[in-house]
Amino acid sequence: MAGLSLTSYAARRAALGLMQVLAVVTLVFFLVEALPGDAAVALAGDNPDPARIAQIRAAMGLDRPAPERFAQWLVGLPQLDFGESLVSGRPVAQFLSAGIGPTVVLAVLTLVLLVPISVLVGVLAALREGSLLDRALTSVSVALHSIPEFALAVVLIAVFGVQLGWLPPTAVGADVLTEPAVLVLPLVVLLARPICSISRLVRAGMVDALASDYVRHARHLGIGETRVRFAHALPNALSPAVQQVARTTDWLLGGVIVVEAVFVIPGLGTVLVDAVAARDLPVVQGLAVVFAVTTVAVNLVADLVGFRLAPRAEVVA
Amino acid sequence: MKRAGIGGLLIVVPLALALLGPLFVPEQTARSAPFMPLGLLGTDFVGRDTWYQVLAGGQTVVLVALLATAFSYLVGVPYGVVAATARLRLVDEVLMRPLDVLLAVPSLLVLILVAAITGQGLVVLIGIVTLVNFPDVARLSRAAALEIAGRPALEAMRMQGESWWQTSIVYTGRSMLRTLAADLGVRLTGALYLVASASFLGVGVPPDAADWAVMVDRNRGGLFLQPWAVVVPALLIISLSIGLNLVFDRALRKVRT
Repeated sequence: MAGLSLTSYAARRAALGLMQVLAVVTLVFFLVEALPGDAAVALAGDNPDPARIAQIRAAMGLDRPAPERFAQWLVGLPQLDFGESLVSGRPVAQFLSAGIGPTVVLAVLTLVLLVPISVLVGVLAALREGSLLDRALTSVSVALHSIPEFALAVVLIAVFGVQLGWLPPTAVGADVLTEPAVLVLPLVVLLARPICSISRLVRAGMVDALASDYVRHARHLGIGETRVRFAHALPNALSPAVQQVARTTDWLLGGVIVVEAVFVIPGLGTVLVDAVAARDLPVVQGLAVVFAVTTVAVNLVADLVGFRLAPRAEVVA
Repeated sequence: MKRAGIGGLLIVVPLALALLGPLFVPEQTARSAPFMPLGLLGTDFVGRDTWYQVLAGGQTVVLVALLATAFSYLVGVPYGVVAATARLRLVDEVLMRPLDVLLAVPSLLVLILVAAITGQGLVVLIGIVTLVNFPDVARLSRAAALEIAGRPALEAMRMQGESWWQTSIVYTGRSMLRTLAADLGVRLTGALYLVASASFLGVGVPPDAADWAVMVDRNRGGLFLQPWAVVVPALLIISLSIGLNLVFDRALRKVRT
């Protein structure tokens, strides 16, 4: 990877990202296509008369061959046309725009809090390597890593929402933006897992960087300790952590689905769970595309940032 | 030493309940009104005794997580080794590239999507968790096998005319064991996380199943009346997860030092 410029790396990485999006979109379409019975059968419902099914099928264009419908669906995607819901007949895009607000608020707030907190925890532990503080932070982050969100959430709700009554137990009927208190518990739950993994990576990277030759060299040159730590060691220590932040988006999307279900927040996760329960497949398809594109885009950005921070490191997707 | 004690204890309690609990559930259990303070932990959302549900509900979570982890190794390791040792570069690419796509999609989303299509059932749940976990195992085995394939020892064996079985399976396999063992803890807690979260969302198990995660979901409505029906199964899952993390972390440290 030596000598690769940021632009050409970005171009190659973007091409890979595009391939991933295309592959996922294709997979989603044909997975749903593989279902026994189609939308028309579902719509006919209580009245499974073959003539009526054929009629609905023709009306919805389901009698055309799959590749043709796939092409049409594919063309619609960039224009945010995801088709129509089977259950209500409303465009899928309406479901998405209704749910995207709370989900974006949750995800952005989590990321905004996640990065500074985990860098701070990791750097603190690394600067006092081997101390009581370091050991305590490491133990806690090992222990809390990969606890299922729903279990943590209900225990927190039982303690802080029900027993102590400090925080609202759910977000039922509350506007996420005007009542920040309803967001406290969801955010704590969403942050618990990623903070552990990222702060451990920052700590490991920082310990390595502080023991490295170039830091020793910088110290020999008489550069101040603060500058050595934060201008020289920290950027190199952050590169692996940035990759992990991208992996976190994967967890975060999963976590958001669970957290929205627990705290009754009307976001995309709730829309997805409801659509799956109602077997409203166009909505499921649309959400899958949105989630997959988001994940791919975040991974792309993270790889580029990682490349920028430590260009010599081999950053392959 | 102290930490292993805590970790071990945290594993033993839920594991014992999960594996031995079903033996202590009576054939006939009385039903009464939902969320009543009867018995050890009260009754659940349909009036069953919560304590018996706790006893019966650990089995699926634990067994599905264990089986799915085992299967992801059974599929992932040969997959990765074949990709690494293939003579043709093309085989490697064809095997590994599709995994990039799988890794690009959030795992819980894959789970929900496939379950929406294939329907309910424990076999489906095991299959999907395996599907989500095996790309990581395959990548790891491929990387490990590639490193081993470049070793002088293997080159010497090949020049001596050792059989493919001897070089690829016996030597490479044995050398990979350490890497794979180090990864086991992460896989197992990951599988536990996925299985529990999926069951909580109602994917893969019937809605009235005796399952810790399902209990948490179903009994949430009575959180104000009978918090134990929610908190006890949730704490058991948390305790199992923390215990696994601590024990595997300690085992890894021991190997390294």
